[in-house]
Amino acid sequence: MVRWGWTMTMLGAVSGALAGGARPMLAQQDSTPSQDSTPSVEERLQELDQQVRILQRQRELEQDSLAAAAKDRPKLTTDKDGFWIRSGDGKFALHVGGYIQADSRTFVDDAAGRLTNTFLLRRARALFEGTVFKYFDFRLLPDWGGGTAVLQDGYVVAKLRPELKLQAGKFKGPVGLERLQSATDILFIERAFPTAIAPNRDLGFELTGDIADTLVHYDVGIFDGDVDGGSLDTDLGDGKDFEGRLYFTPFKRSSIVFLNGLSVGVGGTIGNERGTQASPALPLYRTPGQNTFFTYRSDTTAVAAVANGQRWRISPQAYWRIGPLGLLGEWIRSSQEVSRGTATADVGVTAWQAAGSFALTGENASYRGLSPRKPVTAGGYGAFELVARYSELTVGDEAFPTFANRDRSAQKAKEWAVGLNWYAERRIKIAVNYGQTSFDGGAAGGADRATEKALLTRFQVAF
Amino acid sequence: MVRATSFAAHVGLLVALNAVAGSTLAAQAAPKPVTLLNVSYDPTRELYQEVNTAFAAYWKGKTGQAVTVQQSHGGSGKQARAVIDGLPADVLTLALAYDIDAVADRGVIAKDWQKRLPNNSSPYTSTIVLLVRKGNPKKIKDWDDLIRPGLSVITPNPKTSGGARWNYLAAWGYALRRWGGDEAKAREFVAKLFHNVPVLDSGARGSTTTFVERGIGDVLIAWENEAILAAKELGQDKFEIVVPTVSILAEPPVALVDKIVNKHGTRAVAQGYLEFLYSDQGQEIAAKHFYRPRNPTIAQKYAAQFPKINLFTIDEVFGGWRKAQATHFADGGVFDQIYQPGKA
Repeated sequence: MVRWGWTMTMLGAVSGALAGGARPMLAQQDSTPSQDSTPSVEERLQELDQQVRILQRQRELEQDSLAAAAKDRPKLTTDKDGFWIRSGDGKFALHVGGYIQADSRTFVDDAAGRLTNTFLLRRARALFEGTVFKYFDFRLLPDWGGGTAVLQDGYVVAKLRPELKLQAGKFKGPVGLERLQSATDILFIERAFPTAIAPNRDLGFELTGDIADTLVHYDVGIFDGDVDGGSLDTDLGDGKDFEGRLYFTPFKRSSIVFLNGLSVGVGGTIGNERGTQASPALPLYRTPGQNTFFTYRSDTTAVAAVANGQRWRISPQAYWRIGPLGLLGEWIRSSQEVSRGTATADVGVTAWQAAGSFALTGENASYRGLSPRKPVTAGGYGAFELVARYSELTVGDEAFPTFANRDRSAQKAKEWAVGLNWYAERRIKIAVNYGQTSFDGGAAGGADRATEKALLTRFQVAF
Repeated sequence: MVRATSFAAHVGLLVALNAVAGSTLAAQAAPKPVTLLNVSYDPTRELYQEVNTAFAAYWKGKTGQAVTVQQSHGGSGKQARAVIDGLPADVLTLALAYDIDAVADRGVIAKDWQKRLPNNSSPYTSTIVLLVRKGNPKKIKDWDDLIRPGLSVITPNPKTSGGARWNYLAAWGYALRRWGGDEAKAREFVAKLFHNVPVLDSGARGSTTTFVERGIGDVLIAWENEAILAAKELGQDKFEIVVPTVSILAEPPVALVDKIVNKHGTRAVAQGYLEFLYSDQGQEIAAKHFYRPRNPTIAQKYAAQFPKINLFTIDEVFGGWRKAQATHFADGGVFDQIYQPGKA
C-alpha cells in the first residue's frame, strides 16, 4: 500500500510538471530565470527532476521520522528482572513480577514429634512496581504465602533529586542488613537471629538518597514503630519510632580492587512503645526453623508483661565481596522498657551473625544474589554456591523471671548452618540448608530446650 | 569424609588467596581504561574522530591511562533533548550555548559552565556561508538572492538543528541591517526565504546530504566548515562557496556534564579532553577541519582558508541566545508563525 501510494504521488508530480500546472512542493516556484516567460523543455525537465528528488528526499525523511517515532512508542521488554512496559519517553514504566518459594521443613532427632515436619508455601508474592510521570516510583507487593493475604510493600517515592527521595507508605525499616536484603536474594532459606530484632515492615515516611557520588547511602524516617522482627499495618499507640541508617561503600571506585566490594554501615531506631494487656506490644523470637523459643509472660492469670516506654536499637553491619567470596556480618542490640504490674526494667536483647558464601562456579558474590555465568537458558548448568553461618541471640538477665518464664523461654540461642544453593537463573534456585540451634534454658525446671536440627529445602522462582 | 573436607578446604583457600593476590597486583598496575561519551552536533563527526585519536595518545602519554572517546551526533537541539532524557554524555560539544543551557537548567551541569573554559567555553568559531553549484548557475551573490521566487534553498529545521538556528539568525541579522533595523521587514524577508525551502532536514549534515548527494536545491545555507568540506572534499568540480556580505559569528560551545562525570568518575579525563581542544594540537586539528581557531597564531597560519566576512554576534543583534530562542524558536515563536508546511 505504501509503495502504491508513493507511486501515485510520483506520477501526480510528474504529470503536473509536464503539464506546467501547479507544483505541490514548490508552489512559489512559478517562474524561472529564462528570458522567455515560457519555460523551455530543458528547464521543465530540470524542474521535474528537482521535484522527483524532493519527493524522494521527503520520503526518506518521513521514514527517518517514523523510525524515530517508533522509538517513542511504548515497549514491552524483558530483562534480568522480568517483564517491563515502558513508555517511549521513559517517563512511565511498569514492572510486573513476583516470586514463589515452596519450602519443606524436616526436624531431625525429634522422636517426640515436638516439632512439625511440613511442606509450606513460604512466600507467594506478586510484584507491581514502576514509575509514573518520571519522578514518582511506586511498589505494591501482595503476599499469599501460608494461605494468608498480606500487603507486604505498598509505597510511593518522590525522586526529588538523586540525593533526596521521599518515600511514604509501608516498607522495610532501614535497620537490619540481612533484613533489607530481598527474600529472593538471601543466602539461607531463613534469615539469622539479628533479623529477629531488626524491625520488618512498618508504616511511615522516609528520606533516602545517595550522596558523595553514591559512596554514601542514607535513610532517615519516622514510623509507627514495630516490635522486634515485626510487621505493622495498624498502630495502637501514639508513640513513634525514628529510624535511620548510614551505609558506606568507601572503596567502590578505588584502585585497590579487593576493597571495591567492602561496605559498612550502622542502623538504629529510637522511640516509645506502650502496650496493653490485650496487646502487649512485645516481641517473640523464633529459631531459623520458625519455632518460637522466647516469649514474654502473657500466660498468667495475673498480668502480662507489656511494653512501657523507650525502645531503641543499634546495628553495626558490613558486607564484603571479593570475587566469588561473600562475607556478611551484623550485630544488633535492642532495648525495650517493659513493665509487669509494678515491676519495670529495660530488657536488652543482643544478636549477631557471621555468614559467608562461596560461588563454586566462579561467579562474583553479590548482596543482590548470584547471577550464573552459564544459566540453563544459555545451555549451561547454572551456578552452585556454598553457604555457612554462625548466629546467636541472647536475652538479658533482667527479663527473667519477672517478665519471661525460664521454663518456657530460652535465654540464649546459638545456631550454625550450612547450605548449598543451585541457581538455574539469577533468581531461579533450589536451596538445601541444614542447621542446628542449641539453647540455654527454655525447658521445664530451667533445663535447656532440646537442640533443634532442621533440614530446610526451597524451590524458588522469581522474576 | 575427612579427606574430602580437607580437599575442599584447600581448594577454597587457594581460590580465595588467588583472588586476593590478583586484586593486589591489579591495584599496582596502570590506571583503569576509561571511556568518555562526547555528544556533539551534526557536522563535527570528522573533527572529533581526529581529536579523539590525538587526545587518546596525549592522555596516555600524560597519565598512562587509556581512554576511548565515543561519539554521538545529531541536530544540536535533538542531542540536548537526548541528554536531558538520559543519554549519559560525559561531555557536550554542541552547536550553540542555548542547547547546553537547556541541559544545565535540569541541574546536571553547573550553571556557570560557560565560565569554566576560555572564550565562553567555545574553543573554535565558525560562521554561515552559502554553497552553490559549480558556476553559480542561479547567480547567487548575497542573502537577497535567496528570496527570489523560484529559487530552491536548503537549510535544516531550526527546531531541531543548531546550525539551522545560526542560518536563520544570520539571515535575520542581514535583513535588519539591510532595512535599518526594521523587524517587520526582517520577518518578511525570512518568511520569504523559508518559502523557498522544499525540505527541512533535522540536522546540518542531513541538509548537506540533501544538497550534495541528492542533488536538491540551488543553494545550501551551511556552516562555513561544512561548506568548505563539501566544496573541497565532496566535489571540487561541483560546488563553490558564496561568501555573503554579512554573517553571524557562530561560537559552538563545549562543557562537561557534572552529574555524569561524577557518576562515572571521569571528571579529570573529561576536563582534560575539553582543555585539549584549546591546546596547539587541538587548535590545529580544528583549523584542519575548517573551524576557525581561537589561538591567534594558529588562526594566522590558516587565515588563507577563511574568507574575511563582516560578522555580527548574537549578543549584539538578538540580546543573547536565551532571548533569541524564546522569540524565534520556542513553540509558537516567530519561526512557527512564518513557516507552515503545506501552505503556499
